[in-house]
Amino acid sequence: MSERRVWLPRWLTSEHPLPWLFPVTSLLIVFGLYPVLFSLWLSFFKRNPATRKEKFLPSWNWEKMISDERVWDAVQVTLTYAFIALFIQLVLGLLIALLLDTDRKGFGVLRALMTLPLVVPPAVTGMMFLLMYDSSFGVISNSLYSLGLLSPNTPILGTASTALWGVIVADVWQWTPFMVLIMLAGLRALPKEPYEAASIDGASAIQSFFYLTLPMMSKIIALAVLIRGIDLFRIFDYVKVMTDSGPGTATETLTAYAGTIYFKSANFPYASTIALATLIVVLVTSSLFIKIFKVKF
Amino acid sequence: MASVNISQLNKKYGAVRVLHDLDLQVADGRFVVLLGPSGCGKSTLLRMIAGLESITSGDVLFDDTRVNDVHAKDRNIAMVFQNYALYAHMSVRKNMAFSMRLKRVDKKTIDEKVTWAASILGLEPYLDRLPRELSGGQRQRVAMGRAIVRDPDVFLFDEPLSNLDAKLRVQMRTEIKELHQRLKTTTIYVTHDQIEAMTMADDVVIMRDGYIEQAGSPMEVYDKPNNLFVAQFIGSPGMNIIECQVAVKNGVYYATRDELFLPLPAQAPVEDGQALLYGVRPEHMVPGVQSAGSGDSRASGVVRVVEPTGPEVHVYAKMAGQDVCAISRERLAWEPGETIYFQPDTNHVHLFNKETGAAL
Ligand SMILES: Nc1ncnc2c1ncn2[C@@H]1O[C@H](COP(=O)(O)OP(=O)(O)O)[C@@H](O)[C@H]1O
Ligand SMILES: [Mg+2]
Repeated sequence: MSERRVWLPRWLTSEHPLPWLFPVTSLLIVFGLYPVLFSLWLSFFKRNPATRKEKFLPSWNWEKMISDERVWDAVQVTLTYAFIALFIQLVLGLLIALLLDTDRKGFGVLRALMTLPLVVPPAVTGMMFLLMYDSSFGVISNSLYSLGLLSPNTPILGTASTALWGVIVADVWQWTPFMVLIMLAGLRALPKEPYEAASIDGASAIQSFFYLTLPMMSKIIALAVLIRGIDLFRIFDYVKVMTDSGPGTATETLTAYAGTIYFKSANFPYASTIALATLIVVLVTSSLFIKIFKVKF
Repeated sequence: MASVNISQLNKKYGAVRVLHDLDLQVADGRFVVLLGPSGCGKSTLLRMIAGLESITSGDVLFDDTRVNDVHAKDRNIAMVFQNYALYAHMSVRKNMAFSMRLKRVDKKTIDEKVTWAASILGLEPYLDRLPRELSGGQRQRVAMGRAIVRDPDVFLFDEPLSNLDAKLRVQMRTEIKELHQRLKTTTIYVTHDQIEAMTMADDVVIMRDGYIEQAGSPMEVYDKPNNLFVAQFIGSPGMNIIECQVAVKNGVYYATRDELFLPLPAQAPVEDGQALLYGVRPEHMVPGVQSAGSGDSRASGVVRVVEPTGPEVHVYAKMAGQDVCAISRERLAWEPGETIYFQPDTNHVHLFNKETGAAL
């Protein structure tokens, strides 16, 4: 105490929380709060594409968004994408984690290899799958052709009914390992004894899974769903690289639509409005989810 | 209900052998206690019977059926684990009902059984609590409850009372024994507490380092220990063991040590000069007066501590450099430092080989 530099104001000494909180707080303000507030500010202007002038009309963009059918299409695509990808990743992730949750030799290596897709940049993943889907030399397309499951007349990413699935597969490839990691961490931490007690009580492996593993893992599963769900709702890179929202707007998600308006139409206020709306939906949904499923961090 | 027969059972963890060629017969309806110090392999043996631990070699039979390859869930056993192994996310009620739910027993029967078990175990107020909201003793009782609502062929208990306080332990001891007398289900009960073993068992199996040292009724192992280990493990305070040398005086054999002349049983298989361990339980170290000794026997020591326990008095003394204990029901008053004379009861003297510890 006596060594405290007395000429410094108290809030600048190491005993005060402020100096410790300052760096991260300033980062958050500069890169988090400021852009959001700036977008909000932007969204209150009406842009005239011809004169490139902006006029303060607070409700203009918001009203436009509500009546914009493309927005509602994008919402539908985003939700479809997020739910399907999340479901597949969750189930696959849990299954793979169950298989890898063993002390047998060699599985440690498998567990490590499992994480490889996570280090590939999403844009590269998109490119990779773009090549694999290519209708003349893509390995996936050609395998499907030769199996007779797909006709060369309907390329995966070029057909409205399959394009979204094509993108989802890339997302699943990249992000299932993340689910596996979280699930494995959870599974490995589960106590062994209740399983022994359950088998004495007459439970089969399947019954143990449903009566013990799932309930004991519920918190972790909820956490994984939350993290991935938020991420999936903001899907942008795979769509941008693989289909660029096409064909038509078949794979146009909310963020992709906002991007299109921003970069192609240069209507910054409207793009900001859509981006903000996405943020609001994510915030509300995830808060509700946290409340309902009592997720703990 | 089933008998359990174990033959030539071995268990290895890697290169470490923890059970050695065990043979054990548990007749249908018996209450058998596996007794031994911590780490001797009791739990391992029990878990092999339960089907939770693989069998390295040998056989486990329920009645005449070899169950080595039968999964634990199909063995129809109930088990109480040393560490409770409760289902943390289920209420006490659900913990106890779990096995019946799996068997699709109707709800009314489940409720009846759970209520019955809860009343025996004093768990009624806690039925809707989660295990983490219970004390250690209460959790252990839930584990007991989970076992007794079953109708198993064999009950397996792994130190089920070790975490209870003294009063509850005595109460539960009676409770378990009564339950066994009522249900007559074959029971194998593991403990390191010899009092528990003595009070509850039809048969006691004493284990050490993966070997069975002796099996028999509690009184048999108490009165006729096969070896030094059993003699010392059973009984509290433990048997007095005095290192002696056989000597002859006036044609009579004595076990001697310094100035001690301890009387030997009439037909003791000893010879002059033989080194042996002389064992006598505290209650057979009758304290007396000097003249009362028979023949030339002399056994005196110096009183160190006197502990009245109420019904009896424990006297700890030093005799020829060795600590001994005597129990007397007479309320005699000894003072520390005083000389005390003993008359070991030759009908209850145990002699052991000094090298091997085997009973002579
Ligand atoms: N999973 C295991 N791996 C290796 N050694 C073990 C394992 N489980 C038990 N042991 C060893 O087997 C011996 C017997 O253990 P245990 O049956 O638990 O003893 P007890 O129940 O009599 O205290 C101990 O020496 C213990 O270290
Ligand atoms: Mg044990």
